[in-house]
Amino acid sequence: MNRRHLLAGVASAGVVGGGGLLATGTVPTALGGSSVEPVEPLTVDTIPAPGSRDGEVTIPTPGRTTFVDVFATWCAPCEEQMPALGEAADRVDDAVQFVSVTPEAVGRSMTEAEVAEWWRDNGGDWLVAADPTAALTSRLDVGSFPTAMAIDATGRIRWSDSGVHTADTLVEAVETAQDR
Amino acid sequence: MDRRHYLRSLAVPAVAGSAGCLGVLGSAGAEGTVLGPPDQDLSEASHPSYGDELPHIAVPDPIAGETVSTAEYEGERAVLWTSFYTMCPDGVCPALIFRLRRAQEVAAEKGYGDETAFLALTFDPERDTADVLGEYADQQGVNLDAGNWHFLRPESYERGQELLDEQFGLVIEKADADEYEALSYRFPHYGLILLANKQGIVERAYPRGPQTDIERLVNDVERVVTG
Repeated sequence: MNRRHLLAGVASAGVVGGGGLLATGTVPTALGGSSVEPVEPLTVDTIPAPGSRDGEVTIPTPGRTTFVDVFATWCAPCEEQMPALGEAADRVDDAVQFVSVTPEAVGRSMTEAEVAEWWRDNGGDWLVAADPTAALTSRLDVGSFPTAMAIDATGRIRWSDSGVHTADTLVEAVETAQDR
Repeated sequence: MDRRHYLRSLAVPAVAGSAGCLGVLGSAGAEGTVLGPPDQDLSEASHPSYGDELPHIAVPDPIAGETVSTAEYEGERAVLWTSFYTMCPDGVCPALIFRLRRAQEVAAEKGYGDETAFLALTFDPERDTADVLGEYADQQGVNLDAGNWHFLRPESYERGQELLDEQFGLVIEKADADEYEALSYRFPHYGLILLANKQGIVERAYPRGPQTDIERLVNDVERVVTG
């Protein structure tokens, strides 16, 4: 093995580790408790689907604790996450904006109806929105699905983690963002 | 001589004869770049980095039915490049493709889509056929109609492996995928994204591509294209 191969080998081992971080890294660990700067709110369209409506939602919602689940309909772990999300949606305070968002190109490579069908098939029963240019998802710096995020009323990300979580974890994250 | 050049000149003898990307010293340097040096000096990495030439490769795009040559973009388009495979089981590849896709969206919104090329090279041509890549594009929100996105599919697995090793300093090898039921093999790989300017000079190498801050990357692309 020459030196260059050795370097590349070390590098790929690093990325395997990086992949792990991707799945478990949290904003609080990286940023010392909460994101320093508030996330600038962005308004996106909501999708007519069970528990949702045809309209708009601003994320993060100014003055409210916002819980965001970023998912994609092609992502198997996102399906797996749905029951716990449903339970968490029922358990959190009504004052919390609880919303799922897909960065898929809704309106170009897929339709709202296809998202709604997936939503129904997977027991979705809360607000679901489309981020067809991925502007919001990029602003939240999410690139791995699913990612759950709890944002406080000032727009600061208090908890963010990719992967599948239990309802208890999600509810606890929301309560952290509510400063309870 | 600044520190970076000094470091690079030390690095060259250590890898003498093995890395084509370091052989361009003298013809491509910081003076050919739009961006300043990156915070992290990657000049000793095995892959191309700041100030190096983007490797000249010519690889078929099976969807467009044409061969894409990076040399042809010189003087025309900045290039955002990555390598991936669609059956990537751990989320690394979607995270790479997502970054290119967002940059493509912003390029379209801001009107510099025709000055940019997005190149995603699969190192799994056996499974990543034109049909599979087309479906993946839809799934990931890639806009193939924009005409600036190309999936690159080497003629064979071995050809792709050789190309990544010789041109990009990245070693790809099939590994067993026992932990993934649906997969017979997978590829542990380096999640690299490269950004080259219209002169074909690398402006940024993002070695932890899947974790690169998306808005920062998009902003780098914009500065390079419009700078």
